[in-house]
Parts: sequence; structure tokens; C-alpha cells
Amino acid sequence: MSSLGSYLLLAAFVTCAYAVATSIAGARRRSDRLVESGVGAFYLVAAIMSVASSVIVYAFVVGDYSIKYVQRYSDSVQPLFYKITSYWGGLDGSIMFWVFLLSVFGSAAVYVNRERHRELIPYVVVVISAVQMFFLFLMVVHNNPFETYLTESPVDGAGLNPLLQNFYMAIHPPTMYTGFVGLTIPYAFGMAALITGHLDDSWVRAVRRWTMISWLFLSVGLGLGMIWAYEELGWGGYWGWDPVENAGLLPWFTATAFLHSVRVQEQRGMLRVWNVTLVILTFFLTIFGTFMTRSGVVQSVHAFGEDPVLADMFIIFMIAILTVSFGFVLYRLPLLRARNELDSWVSREAAFLANNWILLFSAFFVLFATMFPTLSEAVTGERLTVGPPFFNRWMLPIGLMLLLLTGVGPLLAWRKSTVVNLRDQFLLPVGLAVVTAGALAALGMRVWVSGLCFALCAFVVGTISQEFWRGARVRQQATGTDVFTALIGLTSRNKRRYGGYIVHIGIVLIFLGFAGAGFKQDEQVLLRPGQQAQVGDFVVRLDAIRVTDDGQKQMITAHTTVFRDGEELAKMYPAKWYFRKHEGEPTTEVAIRRTFAEDIYLVLPAFDLEDQSASMEIVVNPLVNWVWLGFGILALGTGIALLPETAFAFALARIPANAAMTALLLLSLLLWPTAVSAQVGGGETVSVTERSELRRELESEIMCTCGCNSPMGSCPMRPNCGHYDTQEASLDAYLAEGMDRDAVLAAFVQNFGSQAILAAPVDRGFNRLAWLFPYLAAGAALIGIVATTRRWSRQSAPVPAGDATLDPALSARLDDELRNLD
Amino acid sequence: MSYKATKIGLTSLVLALAFGGLLYSTIGESAQYYKHVDEVMVEPDAWYGEPLQIHGYAKNVTRKRDSLDYRFEMHNNGHVVFASYTGVVPDTFQNDAEVVLSGTLSPDGFHATEMTAKCPSKYEVEGGVEAGPSAELPTNSTY
Repeated sequence: MSSLGSYLLLAAFVTCAYAVATSIAGARRRSDRLVESGVGAFYLVAAIMSVASSVIVYAFVVGDYSIKYVQRYSDSVQPLFYKITSYWGGLDGSIMFWVFLLSVFGSAAVYVNRERHRELIPYVVVVISAVQMFFLFLMVVHNNPFETYLTESPVDGAGLNPLLQNFYMAIHPPTMYTGFVGLTIPYAFGMAALITGHLDDSWVRAVRRWTMISWLFLSVGLGLGMIWAYEELGWGGYWGWDPVENAGLLPWFTATAFLHSVRVQEQRGMLRVWNVTLVILTFFLTIFGTFMTRSGVVQSVHAFGEDPVLADMFIIFMIAILTVSFGFVLYRLPLLRARNELDSWVSREAAFLANNWILLFSAFFVLFATMFPTLSEAVTGERLTVGPPFFNRWMLPIGLMLLLLTGVGPLLAWRKSTVVNLRDQFLLPVGLAVVTAGALAALGMRVWVSGLCFALCAFVVGTISQEFWRGARVRQQATGTDVFTALIGLTSRNKRRYGGYIVHIGIVLIFLGFAGAGFKQDEQVLLRPGQQAQVGDFVVRLDAIRVTDDGQKQMITAHTTVFRDGEELAKMYPAKWYFRKHEGEPTTEVAIRRTFAEDIYLVLPAFDLEDQSASMEIVVNPLVNWVWLGFGILALGTGIALLPETAFAFALARIPANAAMTALLLLSLLLWPTAVSAQVGGGETVSVTERSELRRELESEIMCTCGCNSPMGSCPMRPNCGHYDTQEASLDAYLAEGMDRDAVLAAFVQNFGSQAILAAPVDRGFNRLAWLFPYLAAGAALIGIVATTRRWSRQSAPVPAGDATLDPALSARLDDELRNLD
Repeated sequence: MSYKATKIGLTSLVLALAFGGLLYSTIGESAQYYKHVDEVMVEPDAWYGEPLQIHGYAKNVTRKRDSLDYRFEMHNNGHVVFASYTGVVPDTFQNDAEVVLSGTLSPDGFHATEMTAKCPSKYEVEGGVEAGPSAELPTNSTY
């Protein structure tokens, strides 16, 4: 069976090569027969890859442990579902899965566009086949999933890691893959347009939909990954700026930028070079992300091990992509000239342009910070890392700016907005934002970033509601129907625009959830049965620790009761599971009680069965569920934008007027947390010191004086450190007086007599330079914007006279010499 | 200088200043050195008090009763450093686990404020590339 698989991979490689050769020949000789033969071979690759996939899935299902890959990632007791998902569980299989998806996607794209974009098809086949060849080559020479044990083969498999035997983890990778792989299609069409010179806007129309589909998968994939991290990893958060996460985010940024700038090209015929560049960059980043996480170039504890051979192959491939792609862009530059110029900065295209620069800058920044350890090592020989605080410090303002633009964009007119027009458009959304900000300030909002985020969310919601309302009014008057029908009609008439607005609503909800993270509370506490701890408004009482066994695993469960305001809210059961064969790696089973206001999230990190004590981590995560809901709405909006023409006519005929409202009411009833009333059982309360964000920060900045040479927060002598207690007392006193960070630090320095009490920051040499880098990049981007504007704003300048006087003989000679240079 | 150039120049200046301000405020937050145990333990004095990430293999893991205080040894290429950590440890943290600790080194050992652990070889898995929030287990430290 394994040899069949290996042969199939070889066959696929050869077929790809054939498809490339015939397609190029066919396109150059204008021979339809050759082109069709190439397309046929292209479809054949999809067929071969499907068979190869079936072979490996079959091997997993029947448990053919002579195949190394099957042996390493599955075992006989695994449920069927996870046996199948083990296909993409490891490196080799995931590469194969990649090729399989690409061949299927590519065939679909070629099939759909074979008539409409006849002239592009041969080169689309060439580009996609070339990418497939690269990955097939990797498999054939380096990562063959069908590799077998040469001598005796094991009788059972090692089993898929328990952490991955989780529903989200089973569907998250294929979703991400689909997104990644799908982004090859726009690239292939873009390259085909560049190669053939058919650079009118038709290729953009061909790829818009494909980009949107891939973007949808990428977004949903990122969301699923976040849910997985939140539910399975048990650290209370969902995004850690890890290289592997970032690899998925990078192409998302550029694809988002493309989806916006493509509107400008369609509407105004501008940004044509820019769009081609974005498509190339997006594809490049998908490959780069793969390279980053698989070759070991970025050291992350969980990235794949170092593999210099793989790294070299990827580097060669990436250099080839960049050289060929941008080579063609330069070559076709004359054909890519914009039809229009930017009329005003107060226009929608300008807002789109700003949005594009910010998104591109985000991609660039994340790339830079992710690669920072590698870069610093290359430059100084010292490996330096930057953590999540660095990312957050930068991405927070960037995110808020994007959110602002989400609201501003739709309010501006194409070409130029007049003052009257601006006042008319901005009045309601700005009013809403101001009222929200005022209300929050009056309520005593303590985290200003979150406050700003809430106000911006209100602004965007104001914008979008206004757009829907005005559109619906106009339509209502024109058709004479009720508002609800008018809304649906409106959306169906312009699905991309209104679907896009719904996507924006999703983004607003996601930001709402992010803002809630500013109010997160997180405490660790040791409890014995009957004891309780308070975090925020919640009281958690430990009732018992029980041990159970279900044959597949042993489960240690903490039985807890959660109260709020003296009323029992819920029983919660955080646990630790010890799977057979993986006893050394228990999995932490988080208990979460979800409401739209907040989640209460319990983790059982350690326990002692003898004296029944449990260490518990209690996290209160406000608004976190809005993030997931936001991803759902985003998917819905993208779905609407993607619907074919006929879908709405069908739906319109069947939706009763009040259906949506009723559905919404039912949904909200279902989701409303059920309040169970009961009495708080007596029990001593274990005191948990509430540590504010500022206090934690200070504890890490002030050294403990006991001689441990650690910041207060990490003093190893605690809780029995006398010095710590004294310092803690004065810290509390200072904070109680309302002193801010600098004042507290100054007071400590004064009391101690020297700055030695402060944990010293690393702030010198290359480090400083490296921190400067994003700013330099931003500066360069700024200059780019300025240059572009100037060029656009320039009234059609007369052709410089210098060109005409150039000696043709001289320029021919220069040309020759340049050509012979290498 | 034309009016337009002045305008653009001023805008650039304001933005540059804004970025500069932000730079000034972020620079205090420090990057950390990333070292293997053996690199550090050749000359440990040089690293006392430095913000450090240290990479090695955990051995002799013990937990103080009734607490989340872990004591263990970090090994790499024959060098050893004693380490302590308080807080929730990743599921994969156990003897022989490959671990990266963030914290500071002092004469009595390495005090970690954050821990990330790598699974044994199997854990290559993780769906690969874009597997999103991955095997990383940045347990929030206690403080």
C-alpha cells in the first residue's frame, strides 16, 4: 500500500511537469489542443491526489503501522474521527494535504473560468502546477508520508497527542489550509495576467471571489484556533503572538488589504500595481509562514524541529517566487498605469489607501517582531526575543486606527466629499461615539484604551446602521414595501457592499471582546474542600476532589460551586485527565461558564489527593464571547457577499416578514444565563489579594531587597519573605494614596537610596536600533504615501523634454552593457 | 518651499514625533536574551539580573505541598541550573520536558516568571504551519 502511495506521488509530480510544459507550449503556439491537454493533465493531478489521500486515510483507518507516518500519529484505540484527521496531524501528511487541496481548488478555479478567461487559463495551470511541483518534490525527496519501517514494524501506533484530540483542533487545521491554499488561486491569475499582458481589470474580477472564499476560511480558521487555545490550553487567553499564530495572521492582513483595494481598482481604475503586488505578497506570505514554522528558523518551543534541508528548499522557492513575480511586475509596469488620479484626500479611495497602508504595516510589523530573534542573532550573534507586550503595545493603536477607518470609509464619497456631505454623514456616528464615551466616563470606566475602543465600536455601528437605514428608506419609497423587506432587498441588490458591512459588524464585535480583555481578572488560590475564594463578583467554593476512570483515561475532577451576590450560579468541574499511554502528559480540562457579559473560567493546575487540596486558577474574562460571535457574523457577512445572484430571489420568496425578529428573540432567550437561586454555603473565605494591573507591573519593576535578586513579583522566598511583606505594605500604601507608576517608583528609589531597587531595563546597543526599526519602516511607508499622493495629485505633467533628446545609439549601447553585466 | 511641500513636511514631522514618543515609551520594556543552559552556565555571573529566556530540559521536578511552587533542574549539554517557578505549568511540563523559561538568574538559581514547554517529539503535530494558537502554553504567571 505504501508503495502505491509513493508511486502516486511520483505520478502526480510527472503529470504536473507535463501540464506545465504543454500549457506553455500551447499558449505560445496558440494551440487549443495543447492547452486542453495541459488542462486535462491538471485535472488528472487532482484525481491522483484524491486517490493518494484515500490511500493514506485507508492506512490510518485499518492501522497499517508499517507506514512510519501512520504509526507516529495514530493508534488502534483512537476513535475513527481522529484516525481520519490524523492525516494532517504531522508535517509530511500536512504537505500532502496541502497539495491535495491545491489540486482540487485549482481544478475548480480553472473549470469555472475556462471560458470567461480563456487567455489566462494556460498560465494559471502553469503557475499552480509549478507550486504543486515544489511541494510534491519536497515529499518525494524529503518528507514522504508513505515511508515505511524497513525492518520489523511496530504492532501499534504511538497515538495522536491528546491535546489535539479535540474537535476544534480537528477542523481548525484544514480550515486554515483551505484559506492558505486558496490564496494561491489569485496569485496564479495575477501572474497569468502579468505574463500574458491581459492587464485590464478582468483578472481582478476573476480572483475577487476566490480571495473572498480563502479569506473567509482563513478568518474562520484563526477564530477556531483561538477557541481551541482558550478551551484547551487553560491559560485563560486566546492569542499569544506565537510565531505559529502569526504565520496565519500575516497573509490575512494582506488579503484583507487586497479585498479593499480591489474596490478602488474596480471603481476608479487606480492602484493597479498595488493590487498585483498585494496578491503576490499574500501568496508569498503563505509560503513564508510555512517556511517560518517548519524549518526551525524561528525558534518557538512548539515549531517543528530544525530542518536545514527543508529550510534551504523553501528559501530557494521563495527567492524564485519573488524574483519571477516582481520581475514580471516591472516588465509590465507600462501596462499597469492608473486610469485616474486621487482627487482628494477626503474621499473613499483615500480611506481605502490608508487602510491598506495600515494593514500592510501590520503585516510588516508582525513579520519583523516574529523574526526579531533570528534577525538579532544574525546581526549581533545574541539571540534576543520580544514578547507579547511588545506586540500589544504596537498592535493596539494599529487596531484602533483600523477600527476608526472601518467607520470612516463608508461615510466618504468616491472622488471627493463636500463639507455639507461630510456634516450630513458624520453627525450621527460621531454623536453616538461621543455619547458612548461620555456615558462610559460617567460610569467610571477605568481602562481608557477599552473605553476608546467602545466609543469607536459605537462609531462604526452608527455608520453601518446609517448606511442600512438610508438605503432601506430609499428602497422603501421606491418599492413601497415595509422596512424589513426593503432591507433584504437592499442587501440582495448590492450583496458585496452590504455583506461587507455585516462583516464590519462582526469586526466590531470582535473588537468589543478584545476591549473586554482590559477588565480581565485572574487569581491563583489554594483551596481545601469547604473553602472558598472571591474573584471580582464571583465566589468559588471547592466542594470535593474526585477520581473517576472511564477506561480510556483517569479523571481527577474538582467539584466546585460558583456564587455571585450570595446566589448560587453554577456547579463547575475543572479537571485533569490522564490518558492511557500518555500518563506523563495530563490534559487540563478547563471549566467555563459562558455568558455574554463574562466567562468564569476555572483551571485545576495541581491537586493533592491525600489532603484533598486543589490549586485553582480562577479567571473572569469579560465580553470574551463577543469575539466568537463576531467571527460568526463575519462569516455570515462574507457568505452573503459570496451568494450567487439567484439565491436571494429564492430566499425573498420565503421569508415571512417577522421571521428574523422572532428568531433573534428566541436566540437571546436561549442564550440568557439561567439564574439558579440558592444560599451560599458557609465556609471560611480564603483571602485573595486583588492585584491590579499597575500593581503587577510595579511588582515586576521593583526588586525585592531580601537578597534574592529578583523583582518583588518573582521573589522565591515568598510567602515567607519578610522583606517582601514590608515592601508590599509600602507599595499598597502608595497605591492607596493614588500615586501613579512613576511616583511609586520614585518613592521606592528615595526610600532605598539608589536606583538599584529598580529592575534594570535592557536598553542599549543593537536593541535600541532594533526597536527603532518599525519606526523606520513606518517612516519609509509615509514617504511612499507622500510620493504617491504627489504623483497622483500632479496635473498631467508635460513629457520631459530630456527623453526626446536621448541618443538612441547611446541608449542601445547602455542597454547592451547592462545586459552583459552578469 | 511650496505650500504643499510645507504641509506635507509638517504632517511628516508630526507623525514622526508621534512615533518617536511611542518609541520612547515602549523602549523601557525590554527584549530578553535567549540562551541555552550551557551557554549561560559557562559564565553565570555575567547573566545575573539580566532579562533572560533559558532553554533546556527539566529534571527532578518537585512541587512544594499545597502550593504551585515548582523546583527543578534545567539541563543542557552537561550543564545544570536550579530553577524555580510558581504558577500553572503547561500540561507537558514533566521530567525531561524541553522547556523555555523567562526570568532572571541569580546565584541561587533561575527564577522563572513564565514557562513554555515543548511536547516530546510527537508534538510536532499541531496541524502545522498555520495551526494557529499552537502548542505554546504561555501560562500566565502568578504575578
